[in-house]
Amino acid sequence: MKRSRIAGVAGASLAAALLTTDILFANPQFGSHSPGNLLTFPTGFTQAEIARILQHGPWPPALQRDPSNRVSGEPEAIAFGKTLFFETRLSGNGKSSCATCHLPGLHFTDGKKRGEGFVELDRNTPGLLNVRLNRWFGWDGAADSLWAQSVRPIVDKREMAASTTHVGKLVRDDAKLADAYRKAFGMGPQSDDDLVTVNAGKALAAFQETLVTPRTSFDDFRDALERGDAEAAKRYPAAAQRGLKTFVGKGNCFVCHFGPNFTNGEFGDIGIPFFAAAGRVDPGRYGGIQKLLESRANLLSTFSDDAARSSAAGTRHVSLEHRNWGEFRVPSLRNAANTAPYMHNGHLATLGDVVRYYSNLNEDRLHADGEKILRPLRLSEAEIADLVAFLESL
Amino acid sequence: MNLRCALSAIFLAPSAVLACVPALPGAKVVESSRFAVAYRTQPERIAVGRHFTVDLAVCSKDGTPPPESVRVDAHMPEHRHGMNYKARVVPAAGGHYRADGLMFHMPGRWEFIFDVRSAGKTDRLTQSQVLD
Repeated sequence: MKRSRIAGVAGASLAAALLTTDILFANPQFGSHSPGNLLTFPTGFTQAEIARILQHGPWPPALQRDPSNRVSGEPEAIAFGKTLFFETRLSGNGKSSCATCHLPGLHFTDGKKRGEGFVELDRNTPGLLNVRLNRWFGWDGAADSLWAQSVRPIVDKREMAASTTHVGKLVRDDAKLADAYRKAFGMGPQSDDDLVTVNAGKALAAFQETLVTPRTSFDDFRDALERGDAEAAKRYPAAAQRGLKTFVGKGNCFVCHFGPNFTNGEFGDIGIPFFAAAGRVDPGRYGGIQKLLESRANLLSTFSDDAARSSAAGTRHVSLEHRNWGEFRVPSLRNAANTAPYMHNGHLATLGDVVRYYSNLNEDRLHADGEKILRPLRLSEAEIADLVAFLESL
Repeated sequence: MNLRCALSAIFLAPSAVLACVPALPGAKVVESSRFAVAYRTQPERIAVGRHFTVDLAVCSKDGTPPPESVRVDAHMPEHRHGMNYKARVVPAAGGHYRADGLMFHMPGRWEFIFDVRSAGKTDRLTQSQVLD
């Protein structure tokens, strides 16, 4: 869950349909409008482009409780989850907590190329802002809920290296934690270690659900377009507008980075090397689906509080395909400027590097059965700067 | 085309279709030489990244045995990839079926694929669907 693969997909097929015009800042007639009537709103964007832009909002989206987590949105659970998030005793050696790698001061990332637990990890540490909006969790989507994902690093030997036995004992034996558990779940910690650990995950999830990025200058521009408010729209910097035009136009970035959270929530292979180390491959989504289906704590399990399993459609229907090898989750672009480095393995240091990666994309590195709309964008330096300006506005 | 041929085109050809009209109000219809498949999505307007279901009604044309199986899938021809999810098709009475678990995870042109198997052969019927 880390920002990476910023510019989404390159290519031509859809871009050809999006006829370009002068952009907003260059249009001296920009001004008169019929509020709310996009068809007569004279921006420099085409109507198709405006329609695309509007699909990336409004922000923040209406937030819904997670039906698989009965304490989602509950203040007592949020408070308990916040305590656990900073609790170093959750780790096997008592020295690291969730916040050791997800530092609040670094937008809940660690700023490192790859995460570091007891060993250096294969992947970049994901940020947690807006994490509640994910469909899948982790770079490989091995978890289908935020609460299951929250348990994973605690019991992973490479990361916090604890066990469910350790977590169960800690929560039962510590009076303050046991009391917070009781307030959150309406009963004291049970003797079942797995259940206590999963509930700790649900409290952690409830806390992380509160981590949402604020509105941005892009959101103000997007809403101005929707209202037909030319004066407000003018305040969005010209460079960002030009970058946005590339994003919804010839860059085709929106195809994957779609919607208010700038991700379609799925997976893609964009040719980033997936050798985690010499002779060792990171299987990406392929391994993630295998882990998901083997998990004793997925949304089809008895740990889910969604009796109807209405939230489990993805898990029930997910399909394991050969093309999933080397696919990684499409990250949100919101707050991307603050979550460097990028890509699943922290391969690229800056947003400029990311845009250049897509601009010079090496098609030979893409899977033969991978995404076929990926093409080198061949952007000029000015276009790269504009696209970065747009990304920085999210 | 003389008058007789024109009348044939108007009345005879439709009569063959009328003999095989799947009963599904408001549905789109796609046909092969052996089957007509009517389908309707729920919700009617498919949203990017949201699961949806497809209700189907299948009828066999002249002399074709009823379907032994119906499979529903979709792909993006220009992208050369399919969905990330496998639909489950459950038969109901009267040649009706419901497929659930579909999701179109990108905007663009998708193509529905309906595979209808009968008498040892599979007819593949396709229909484009563009998501804005």
